[in-house]
Amino acid sequence: MSFREKSDWCSFLSLCVFGLFFVRLAHDLLHGTPGAHNYFLLFFGLVGLVVVIQVVSHVALAVWSPKDAQTPVDEREQLIHLRAAHVSYYVLLLGAFLVVGCMHLGFSTWQMAQCILLVLWLAELLRYGLRLYFHRCGA
Amino acid sequence: MGCGCTFTGVVPDMADSSITNTIRKLRFEHDEMTQQALAERIGVTRQTVNAIELGKYSPSLEVAFRIAAVFGRPLDQVFQYQPDRTAS
Repeated sequence: MSFREKSDWCSFLSLCVFGLFFVRLAHDLLHGTPGAHNYFLLFFGLVGLVVVIQVVSHVALAVWSPKDAQTPVDEREQLIHLRAAHVSYYVLLLGAFLVVGCMHLGFSTWQMAQCILLVLWLAELLRYGLRLYFHRCGA
Repeated sequence: MGCGCTFTGVVPDMADSSITNTIRKLRFEHDEMTQQALAERIGVTRQTVNAIELGKYSPSLEVAFRIAAVFGRPLDQVFQYQPDRTAS
């Protein structure tokens, strides 16, 4: 497994951790108690956790195999990154239009903000998921 | 990675590509050069060399020429275009 693939795994898994925010949000919405938790603290707490996981895991990877870490991104990896970004862009675009649609359904500003966050998270999750898929496929 | 076992020169599992190559055979002929050694000489990762060998990735013209230069062969002795492979 290349350094870039390991790095993508770290990013993908750390993004999954951020999914706890939406799990909590969905739980509260389903139980009719939105706002019962301090989402502001939860959000920044999870963002901090994601940053810590990313930094620690990448430093660990670089220490574990310094030669791999210094290898520049080659043309196949660039292609993988481009293909993954291309697909996730359309998800982001679709999500953006759906969020605009939510505005006409009477969503509040707070709900709209959560929807935008969800779309961004899904697009990033897809991007890293596709990168891993393309790494496994060969290109 | 190369296993040193017998091979025909054409990668067997390249049914999805019309481009075949003889990189594995050439590596074997060049003192059993490893994928890592070839990768370092052409400036790509070992995984990319493996993907090229298996026909999962078609390299750019520049990398193809670099591979051919490493083995000291013309390009058409390293890569072969077989349009019938995708039609079948």
